[in-house]
Amino acid sequence: MQIEHRSFNRVDLLAVAGRIDAATSPQLRQQVEALFEQGRYRLVLDLAQLEYISSPGLRVLIEARKRAREWKITDLEGGDIRIANLPPRIKEVFDLTGFTSLFEIYADVTAAVGSF
Amino acid sequence: MDSITLTADLDALAQISAFITEAAELAGLDERATWQVQLAVDEAATNVIQHAYDPDHPGDLTLSWQSDEQRFVIVLRDYGRHFDPHNVPAPDINSSIEERQVGGLGIYLITRLMDEVRFDFNPNGGNLLTMVKYIASGPRDDVVIMPIQGRVDAVTAPQLTRDVHAQIAQGARFVLLDLQEVVFLSSSGLRALLIIRKELMTLGGELRLAALQPQVHEVFALTGFTQVFAIHPTPEEAESAFGQGRA
Repeated sequence: MQIEHRSFNRVDLLAVAGRIDAATSPQLRQQVEALFEQGRYRLVLDLAQLEYISSPGLRVLIEARKRAREWKITDLEGGDIRIANLPPRIKEVFDLTGFTSLFEIYADVTAAVGSF
Repeated sequence: MDSITLTADLDALAQISAFITEAAELAGLDERATWQVQLAVDEAATNVIQHAYDPDHPGDLTLSWQSDEQRFVIVLRDYGRHFDPHNVPAPDINSSIEERQVGGLGIYLITRLMDEVRFDFNPNGGNLLTMVKYIASGPRDDVVIMPIQGRVDAVTAPQLTRDVHAQIAQGARFVLLDLQEVVFLSSSGLRALLIIRKELMTLGGELRLAALQPQVHEVFALTGFTQVFAIHPTPEEAESAFGQGRA
């Protein structure tokens, strides 16, 4: 798994490539938590190059979104983890596990970053 | 029958994945079924690695497979703690993010991805997990193509839903709506399609849409639903995509 990080004014973008499984998911968790510790709670995950995800990776995503949403600026505005570019196989896992309706999913990075 | 035995630690996952992927291809599973087997076995092995043994003193796990014309059978054995799947609550996949629990997804995915799953425990023989994937053969008989005409709105959507339900009752699971002749789609129409899609997915099927006119496609694009639905330029492309994912 490779993670590329880009910081924008209000939003941080993590492009995750390769495989998120039990062996690699701790690395994703650490990267997300490092951003939380810097007060960065608005994240976009670009999954265009993601080949594989299993349940430990899904777990990181749920926990991270729960954490991000606890951070609020106003009642309407606050932290979140949003997703851009869901490849077919990853979407299938999202559909099976109900993640498609658990996350805000955007067709591309621009739309996802712009949604904040 | 072919098998490998490995120390049950996280380093084993890559080897297990390579082993079972090659096996599934040898057995004649198609690309999607091979991917499903790979994910199910990865989940099962992860479960053993994380829960069967003391992490500081991992024991062995053995993965073996055999196949005939119809069935690809995988057996995963470990000698660790007794695993009882009844102690793992099934995830509520319809709950909101606030209420959503984080656990139970691995076992749930295994049962969704494989056609038969059985857990056995023997105090001397350890945990035995048997997973079977059926090998698809011949053309499917559960595909139906439905041409739709005119407007899909609050007035017509209930009839569309009834028509699809009638097809489902006759065994259809893979439904293709040919929207070539549809000139208008409202939010009520969109909602009806979402519900149909979810119903088919619950039955292990798929909904695909084909040949959308530009003004209809725009409704999907504006609402972000191009990401949710499987939309194809032509009915032929939609039909050949059934069972290949992306629904």
